Amino acid sequence: MSGEQPAALFLADGSRFDGHGLEYEGVALGEAVFYTGMTGYEEALTDPSYAGQILTFTYPMIGNYGISGEAAQYPRACVAGTVIKQIAHHPSHHLSKQSLPSWLDDERIPALIGADTRAITIALREHGTIWAALAVGEDALDGAERVLANYARHATTRDLVPSVAAPTQRIEGPADGPHVTLVDCGVKRAVLRELEALGARVSVVPYDASEETMLANDPAAIFISPGPGDPTDLAQTVETLRGLVGRKPLFGICLGHQLLALACGAKTYKLPYGHRGGNQPVRDVVHDDVLITAHNHGYAVDARTLPSELESTMTNLNDATNEGFRHRRLPIAAVQFHPEASPGPSDARRLFAEWFRTAEIPIEGEERD
Amino acid sequence: MRNVMVIGSGPIVIGQAAEFDYAGVQACRALRDEGHRVVLVNSNPATIMTDPEIADSVYLEPLTVESVEAIIARERPDALLPTLGGQTGLNLAVELHEAGVLERYGVQLLGTPIESIRLAEDRERFKAKMIEIGEPVAESRIVTEVEQGIAFAQSIGYPLVVRPAYTLAGTGGGLAYGEEQLRETLLAGLSASLIGQVLLETSLLGWKEIEYEVLRDGAGNSIIVCNMENVDPVGVHTGDSIVVAPSQTLSDVEYQMLRTASLNVIRALGVQGGCNIQFALHPDRSEYAIIEVNPRLSRSSALASKATGYPIAKIATRIALGKRLDEIENPVTGLTKAAYEPTLDYVVVKIPRWPFDKFPLADTALGTQMKSTGEAMGIGRTFRAALMKAVRGLDLGYESLSKAGLGEWSETELERVVAHPTHERLFAVCELLRRAHVAGGVDLAIERIHAACAIDRFWLYEFSEMVALEERLRCIAAEADVATALEYGYSRKGIARLAASNPEVSVTPAFRMVDTAAAEFPAKSPYYYLSRGEMDEIRAPAREAVVVVGSGPIRIGQGIEFDYSCVHAAWALKEAGRSAVVVNNNPETVSTDFDVSETLVFEPPGADEVEAAYRATGATGVMLSFGGQTAINLAGALAERGVNIVGNDRTSLERAENREQFEEALARLGVARPEGKAARSFREARAIARELGFPVLVRPSFVLGGRAMEIIYNEGQLASYAESAPPILADAPLLVDRYLAGLEVEVDAVFDGTDILIPGIFEHIERAGIHSGDSIAVYPPQILDQRQQARIVEVTTAIARELRIQGLINIQFVLHENELFIIEANPRASRTVPIIQKATGVNIVGAATRVALGERLRTMPYGTGLQPPPPYVVVKIPVFSFSKMRGVETVLGPEMKSTGEVLGIDATFAGALRKGFLAAGVRLPSSGARILVSISDEEKQAAVPVLRRYAQLGHALVATSGTADVLEAAGIACERVKKMAEGSPHVLDLLHARAVDLVINDAKGSRDISDDYKIRRAAVEASIACLSSLDTARALVEAMSGTAGPPRSLQEYRSAPATIES
Repeated sequence: MSGEQPAALFLADGSRFDGHGLEYEGVALGEAVFYTGMTGYEEALTDPSYAGQILTFTYPMIGNYGISGEAAQYPRACVAGTVIKQIAHHPSHHLSKQSLPSWLDDERIPALIGADTRAITIALREHGTIWAALAVGEDALDGAERVLANYARHATTRDLVPSVAAPTQRIEGPADGPHVTLVDCGVKRAVLRELEALGARVSVVPYDASEETMLANDPAAIFISPGPGDPTDLAQTVETLRGLVGRKPLFGICLGHQLLALACGAKTYKLPYGHRGGNQPVRDVVHDDVLITAHNHGYAVDARTLPSELESTMTNLNDATNEGFRHRRLPIAAVQFHPEASPGPSDARRLFAEWFRTAEIPIEGEERD
Repeated sequence: MRNVMVIGSGPIVIGQAAEFDYAGVQACRALRDEGHRVVLVNSNPATIMTDPEIADSVYLEPLTVESVEAIIARERPDALLPTLGGQTGLNLAVELHEAGVLERYGVQLLGTPIESIRLAEDRERFKAKMIEIGEPVAESRIVTEVEQGIAFAQSIGYPLVVRPAYTLAGTGGGLAYGEEQLRETLLAGLSASLIGQVLLETSLLGWKEIEYEVLRDGAGNSIIVCNMENVDPVGVHTGDSIVVAPSQTLSDVEYQMLRTASLNVIRALGVQGGCNIQFALHPDRSEYAIIEVNPRLSRSSALASKATGYPIAKIATRIALGKRLDEIENPVTGLTKAAYEPTLDYVVVKIPRWPFDKFPLADTALGTQMKSTGEAMGIGRTFRAALMKAVRGLDLGYESLSKAGLGEWSETELERVVAHPTHERLFAVCELLRRAHVAGGVDLAIERIHAACAIDRFWLYEFSEMVALEERLRCIAAEADVATALEYGYSRKGIARLAASNPEVSVTPAFRMVDTAAAEFPAKSPYYYLSRGEMDEIRAPAREAVVVVGSGPIRIGQGIEFDYSCVHAAWALKEAGRSAVVVNNNPETVSTDFDVSETLVFEPPGADEVEAAYRATGATGVMLSFGGQTAINLAGALAERGVNIVGNDRTSLERAENREQFEEALARLGVARPEGKAARSFREARAIARELGFPVLVRPSFVLGGRAMEIIYNEGQLASYAESAPPILADAPLLVDRYLAGLEVEVDAVFDGTDILIPGIFEHIERAGIHSGDSIAVYPPQILDQRQQARIVEVTTAIARELRIQGLINIQFVLHENELFIIEANPRASRTVPIIQKATGVNIVGAATRVALGERLRTMPYGTGLQPPPPYVVVKIPVFSFSKMRGVETVLGPEMKSTGEVLGIDATFAGALRKGFLAAGVRLPSSGARILVSISDEEKQAAVPVLRRYAQLGHALVATSGTADVLEAAGIACERVKKMAEGSPHVLDLLHARAVDLVINDAKGSRDISDDYKIRRAAVEASIACLSSLDTARALVEAMSGTAGPPRSLQEYRSAPATIES
């Protein structure tokens, strides 16, 4: 293997995990997190919700089916760095356009290969999410611990959403469809695709857009997208949303769920090590069934703080965290997980159509009553 | 509390093995945990599920509607759990339903409703349902005329699979790539079909074969436990494919596409419990088709359970009892619920174990008929490590991807096996890759191989990386290469064999946990595998640990019986206050259920792994005598590494296997053994045979378990044996023994250095010369008198002492002209251990385990000496899988051929035989059957009284000319049938038309190519029972003339022996 050079992951608690790097040399700084899905690395690496994070794949063989471009959720890699046990240099898939290692090099993502990813996962589970540095190359390794110590003192999640959210407004989807607004906090392509698949014309507006911008074109509903980081960093967005309650149907996914909760008066908190994977069981109280869902979040809504007009509709079976709520009177609902999947199971895909019905938005191909 | 009946899967046959014991044990436990009473029916005595500790009433009775109805009538179960006993259990449940039995006795079916089962099993209705819900199935049509077929082909295109309806072993079927070929195949297929009907199906050949294991509860919640990808594309039965979990070459989009389809299917069928769904996925576009659905637990679900740690059978049972997935605790984490999908942070590879080493003449082509008897599973952090562990775990001597001998094959020969798969395909692919690595052009070679076999390039590159490593080891063997080899799962022995030099490299073994959650949650599972150079997670057991070494994959000669012993050893250790550490790699079995031991190390039972487990758990000893020859063979290597072996050790093994030393000892003890000598050449063998006098028993000294062992009746046969047998090696001479006909006797005993415990003596029905595993055995003895039994005890004790036995010993004797000869002594648990344990209730494995720990028999509750006989008779009858093995000679001999066994228990010998034959699937008409008889000259006179009894029962005898002459001379009426040479209609026509019910065709002196062979094979193809020994025929007529008593549970037989009446 050409370009094999020393690399390591340093956690702020002083632990270090060694392996080797790809050709790209450098240091990545960010929160160390792990993803437990066995497939979907292309979607995960391009998921804006992973912005500023060093992502460890718990599944040990990554890159087997290459990079297709079609699975990408964003025009570029979003992670700060990645840790992989064994990376495939000879991918095999009819859609593969490039191998993962060469793509990571092109994307200038520092990668640590061959490290004990399970040991890293256990460390993160025990310690909780932690600041980390991933260094590739002799030079990078030399100063990595010092750089990390310095970074950890000032590190913040504040600039994550701005780094991935579109700065300007745009419109996507069929010209004649019912109009909806999507507040972009770092949206995945799959969310847009789901809205478009139902026939909606989508105004994508920046997370910090004004109320007027959000209401432009008189949307039938406003969707708040997933995105990275701590929802309390987006105080202005929360304020804007608060002003929209009762005026428009509001629906949130992941970060959008947390922002809506804050806007309605609930509180959020940081999970010890987050949920990131495609196998989280969620009990849907409304349908009385269990959905296997895709997750990617480090924060959660505190169900005990939900104001009385909001009711919890979904609960995580693993740790009983809140996974969804709806307004008792108004067309407002949100879920913590990703009904758009990509990657992950699509058990919860029905939610998009349910929300459209809640907001009385006609769905393409469906008979109207 | 309710009374719930569970039906097992019966004897082990190809396609239905130990996985249903594993599933059944979990089911019984789950039922009892929920407070129910369990009635268990299974005819297979080598199973843990038929232990009286597992169910409240255990019936070792035939799995027939009549027998199960009788059990239902006396037990009056409230409910029946039908989906845990394989296809056998499922079919029986459906038959009971259809016969109105369930309704008559008010028995409720638990779990998946009968309607769902029917929907999944009926090809046409299933297809219609799939079309209704929009799930793709392979296009197919039933045709009865050639032109109909051609028209269908024109509408959907080629290639097409032609499957004739109602033929056996797929005769007349095949693939058609064009019209001309389709015409030919259709003609052949239509004539081969008994009903003139052929199914034409789009060929999915070369598509990826993917399986999903799904669970659904009664409320409709569904989860995927695991998906699996076959390395071998569609075309090779999944049971004969190399299977990887989870899938490796599917993108998330494809993974989720098939996941969603699985949920749609299971929902449409209304399954409540486990279900296996097989898909074909097009390699070049996102198109798929459903191949098959099994609405029950299966071999794949056992594999998925072991691969993920998720106990499917246990959860499926709870679902059947009405529980929802989100109400059931995940027993692995103890924190989460059963409603979630396991995620892996390792890779699992399964490789089938085929019986072709036993059957050199068998057709080794792999296709739609499964041929393997068992499987080895490897768990590794990467595919490479998992693959190497699975390859090594086959216990066929493979320590790398280079198979001895293939180096001499031509490219053409290798390419043929690549394109037309046999059990050697993996090695042929690797040999081609090896040549490409040496000569250059690896990428090109991969393209060529891919074009020939459609195995995905991903796997080929993975193999290629391993082959490249092996080549580097051969050339340089740098330290880094040796370290990589250890990480890839190679053994130290394997590396030493490959490497140019052998640098001392140590990469610390690290035990990793199988936790269903990729470390996301802390787990309490005691389930581990080995990686190298990583973090070690093993927890030292709370109490003193002892390692029990398992027996690896199930194969002919080393089957589920050895797993039974390992499980009992683990249980006995627990009772004795120790922690059992089990090392084994068979995904089907109970011993690899993490509930059985305190620590499960899922690894090949090899010296490296056993040593690592021993050291990591701080064990005080290793027990080798329960895992068959696989385990005991480690004695030398482990002793050299300073591992403390408890119980039978290297001394016992060496004393038993060193022929000269053993013979000297026997001479000293005054015990006779058949005269014999070692020959260094076939010429020498002939001289020895002449000196001893024919018949002689010949076998190469380097093989165990009867391989290439034969009885030779004359010089001509010796000459043809010399042609087909393996060559005689300098250090492994050919052993030539006098063959002694007579009563064969088998004993399993526990010896503690002073006292002996013999629960019982088995007599064989067939005379010596037929492998003990293939003989019908009866307990208690029907022929041996008190004096002879006393002599057996005396000799057994003397030999046990001589071999320094500390635990179990198995000895086979032959009583020849009233003199006792010893044939074989094995210092380990034998195949008959579970049978004698079941027949007598004496826990000899437990006793042996405690002896190994230093306890004395006198302090145990089992007694010493030969135990008194019970007032009932137990008969073990072997079961074969000949219909699955084209070309195999069915005549029994010194080489074992059976895959499983059943038990018959009754108050009388005839009754036990009757139940045993019924359980083995032999139909027993009381009169009016047509029996084809063709007897060798040697046996003709002896056959007369036996055949007379058949005639007296009112059966019609149909005989070939020579036999007919003898019968008529004896005044027995018979119908004559022509031999093949005498023109049509002849004996084969009779069999093809299934115009007879039974065949008696002994095989004295005949070899594989004869007329007799054709008769026997034709009987197998037509599913007609064929007896190749006159002794078996005698037993069968005994059974036919007797009557069997009503069914009784094992508990009843054991607790109230005085009340047993026929």
